Amino acid sequence: MSTKSTNKFRYQARVEELKRKKLLQTKEKIAIEGLLDEDDYGRVVPPKDSWESIPNHPDGSFYGLEGWVNNFCSLMESHPVYVDPNDAFAGRWVYFMSRMRANKWNPDYPYNHLEEDIAKYDIISGIGDDAHFAPDYQLGISLGWQGILDKIHKYRKINTLPKQQLFYDAHERAVKSIQGWIKRHIEKIEELAEAENNAGLKENLLEMAEVNRRIVSNAPQTLREACQWIIWYHLASRTYNRDGAGGQIDELLRPFYEKDLAAGRIGRDEAVYYLACFLINDPVYWQLGGPDENGDDLTSEISFLILEAADKINTSLNITVRVHNGLNEKLFQKSLEYLVKNKNGWPRFSGDKALVKGFMNNGFDIQLARRRIAVGCNWMSLPGQEYTMNDLVKVNMAKVFEVAFDEMVSNKIQGLSTHYLWEIFKNHLAKAVHTAAGGIRHHLKYQKYNEPELILNLLSHGPLEKGLDVSDGGATYYNLAIDGAGLAIVADSFAALEQRIEKEAKIPWEEIIYHLKTNFDGIEGERVRLLMKNSERYGQGNSLGDEWAKKVSVEFTRLVRRESDPKANHLFIPGFFSWANTIGFGLNVGATPNGRRGKEPISHGANPNPGFLVDGASLGLARAIAEIQPGYGNTAPMQWELDPTLASKNHLNMIGSIIKAHFNMGGTLINVNIMDKEEILEAHKDPAKFPELVVRVTGFTAYFSMLTPEFRQLVVDRILEN
Amino acid sequence: MDGIITSVQRMSVHDGPGIRSTIFMKGCNLRCRWCHNPETFSFAPELEWIKTKCIGCQACLEVCQTGALRLTNGNISFNKGECTACFDCIPECYPEALHKIGRRVTPESLFSEIEQDFPFFEESGGGITISGGEPMLQKLFVISILKLFRTGGIHTALDTNLSIPWKHYEQLLPYTSLIMADLKAMDNELHEKWTGGGNSTIIRNIRNLDESGIPYFIRTPVIPGFNDSEKEFRDIAGLLSTLRNMKQFDLLPYHPLGNWKYVNLGVKNLLEGVSSPTSIDLQRYASILEEYGINYQIN
Repeated sequence: MSTKSTNKFRYQARVEELKRKKLLQTKEKIAIEGLLDEDDYGRVVPPKDSWESIPNHPDGSFYGLEGWVNNFCSLMESHPVYVDPNDAFAGRWVYFMSRMRANKWNPDYPYNHLEEDIAKYDIISGIGDDAHFAPDYQLGISLGWQGILDKIHKYRKINTLPKQQLFYDAHERAVKSIQGWIKRHIEKIEELAEAENNAGLKENLLEMAEVNRRIVSNAPQTLREACQWIIWYHLASRTYNRDGAGGQIDELLRPFYEKDLAAGRIGRDEAVYYLACFLINDPVYWQLGGPDENGDDLTSEISFLILEAADKINTSLNITVRVHNGLNEKLFQKSLEYLVKNKNGWPRFSGDKALVKGFMNNGFDIQLARRRIAVGCNWMSLPGQEYTMNDLVKVNMAKVFEVAFDEMVSNKIQGLSTHYLWEIFKNHLAKAVHTAAGGIRHHLKYQKYNEPELILNLLSHGPLEKGLDVSDGGATYYNLAIDGAGLAIVADSFAALEQRIEKEAKIPWEEIIYHLKTNFDGIEGERVRLLMKNSERYGQGNSLGDEWAKKVSVEFTRLVRRESDPKANHLFIPGFFSWANTIGFGLNVGATPNGRRGKEPISHGANPNPGFLVDGASLGLARAIAEIQPGYGNTAPMQWELDPTLASKNHLNMIGSIIKAHFNMGGTLINVNIMDKEEILEAHKDPAKFPELVVRVTGFTAYFSMLTPEFRQLVVDRILEN
Repeated sequence: MDGIITSVQRMSVHDGPGIRSTIFMKGCNLRCRWCHNPETFSFAPELEWIKTKCIGCQACLEVCQTGALRLTNGNISFNKGECTACFDCIPECYPEALHKIGRRVTPESLFSEIEQDFPFFEESGGGITISGGEPMLQKLFVISILKLFRTGGIHTALDTNLSIPWKHYEQLLPYTSLIMADLKAMDNELHEKWTGGGNSTIIRNIRNLDESGIPYFIRTPVIPGFNDSEKEFRDIAGLLSTLRNMKQFDLLPYHPLGNWKYVNLGVKNLLEGVSSPTSIDLQRYASILEEYGINYQIN
């Protein structure tokens, strides 16, 4: 056992120090880089006079294998080292290399044929976007860096075409540059250890150096080595192109922990300290619990230790507990306790039943379906086997609705009716989905010339074996995600029109057309707006809005599925998710018949519009979102703003029951926010006063103080109205 | 068979075990001054005006024949005394500031309405609670509801003031999983003054309940100026200590959260300005209960 357990090294104090430092780093990031509506990422601010990219194209950007590997190696060579004597692990990432380009997409591969419809339907096409599929960390910790180099050497002898040799050259250079980066850290750690006077810290640094000397080439053998190896990989991958996908972290680390325990090398407190340092390094999306291929639960002692470590740091975290029938009930209860105790948006909960059944609907077997885990913001992935474009491609269905509505109004030949509007909407939704799918096809065809996945290729099964980039046939499966956004806006708009104009004859079409054009201006506009807003909404249960939401979901699902092409190994999988794009999407849509004013944000993901139900909103939410799931293994998450008065130890049973009931009814993912209304209002006024306040914005958590005022307002509205 | 209710509250977590849907019956034989459901006093449907939702469009004024809704100093106001409950104003009120409180429902329509929450009941061990108002004033309707839900495998609870003769309760016990009953005060005169009714039947019924074999909770609201004396709490604890089968005892501290309902209904709130008991007060009552060996929860 390490001598750190002899009290020279006080774990809790070290963790507190790391937390304090992280808050300072966040503050510094806000001061220097400004506000950002996305994940915390664990990144620290780059030094002044920092690295600059090396263009290889007249447009000032860099593209292709050579462009990326040259830039990555150059960056790794000059990348600052980061060592904290309080930390068990070395390394932090500082550069978004993929964002340091002049241009995201190589202009030599234009997509003019898609641009008009991308703009018309306000599609986020994902063309040129990075990663968003999961590496297989098991592969990495089994091989180590030398093992990966050996694998490259092995397959370069088999795949001998010149372009394949270039492919292997690039990967070899990337690996060696990562090793060089680690070696520079080792030198720094040794230097710090030499100068350190505190015995506990010195010992920690010496062990840190030893750990890194071993894993710079070899596969890790201990828990500390495994954690450090995973950290190096994800820091490199983050630096390369922001990849933040995780894995089944308890099962990845369990063998190392058990081996250390059996050998008497580690104690429980030491393990929790390592895990706390591991988690504070970066809010990667890790899954805990859930079934193995045979359906047996993967929960082990280390699953609990990971939750305990998360509780100790209680910062921005993205841990997901996979809920299935066989889930260790104690793990579930523990996760609820931490959710309620810390009110920091972690953990999240993933619904195994519907996810497995849904993925099997694609024709896959149950074993493979169980291996597809929650490792991203809203998304699932088969680690190392799948290229997915998860959370990258979104159709703004509210915009599609607007296009359809305008067409109906301008072409009155067939009259004005929700029936006719639905037909036009379907037609435009089909074009929008086809455009989105076209964008994905274009991306798959040319991404290798634009942004090859040099780092994720290393931990994927196939790219090195075939000598092909993961985007270009290297992966085993191409299960491609297209998400619909603005479901509630569309459903409630159809419902309001049907109810108020057609069923109740409260107002004529002409009047609503007028008020939409004038953005519900004036007292009469406001009166009509409230009439429309108070119609039967999605989420109320057996309402017109619920009916329309199901109808839209079925149609969107059908349209996405029909883009699949088994011969090309392309399966398209629908979901409902808007990430942080609700504000941007809303800016492009005028007033809508559900009483939404022009330019206001669209609805969030699969959620009903805020304020949809006065009593029992949590139940209505859980029920409604379970009913509109597309059902092919991707998620339509439930974003749950839970009233803090209900978030107490006394109500764990209630919270757990809603989670389980949602998953039994077909739900796929639950993100929970527990926010005190007074506190969030205060924090909105003066974010700097609440540096530790973390909100689950959507699939990701963020420091509230890092969000832009517009986004803070959105979060505040969501919480107040629910 | 139908009856009148004010609402069905989904996800109720204070009206029995688990997640519950609470059905609030309209009509009550008591007038507890602290009641936070004044909309359940009367059997008749009535108009509610939510001032904060009113945008001042004045569409309601055009249909209000009695002047119950009128302009006062340029603002719309609601005078309940002049309202004939014709409800003609409601369809004109697009912002939904005007509401009709009280709707007639059948057990079957309630079942259809609540059925969507059965998965949550199942997971949490919850069910339905019939509350009010006083449910026993619509006894036959209540029995039909209890029967229907119990047959459907749903846990059923009845929240009653126990002021109705015991023979009526006996008829619904076979369909009731749990009874929650109030013990507001032991002093009959005090009880009558603050609730409009005496407590002799209630105390007798509590003893009957204890003998009946049905699981039951007793709940005592803690109302400043009413029952918050040491004597009352000692008398309450004295009675409770003689009960052998009570499953749970709840202290329900007064809260002014229902005050807005009095404003919306245009009804005088006799406890306006009264605050909730402090935690120190509650601890004082709790220590008396502990002295008598009574287990309690503060809800």
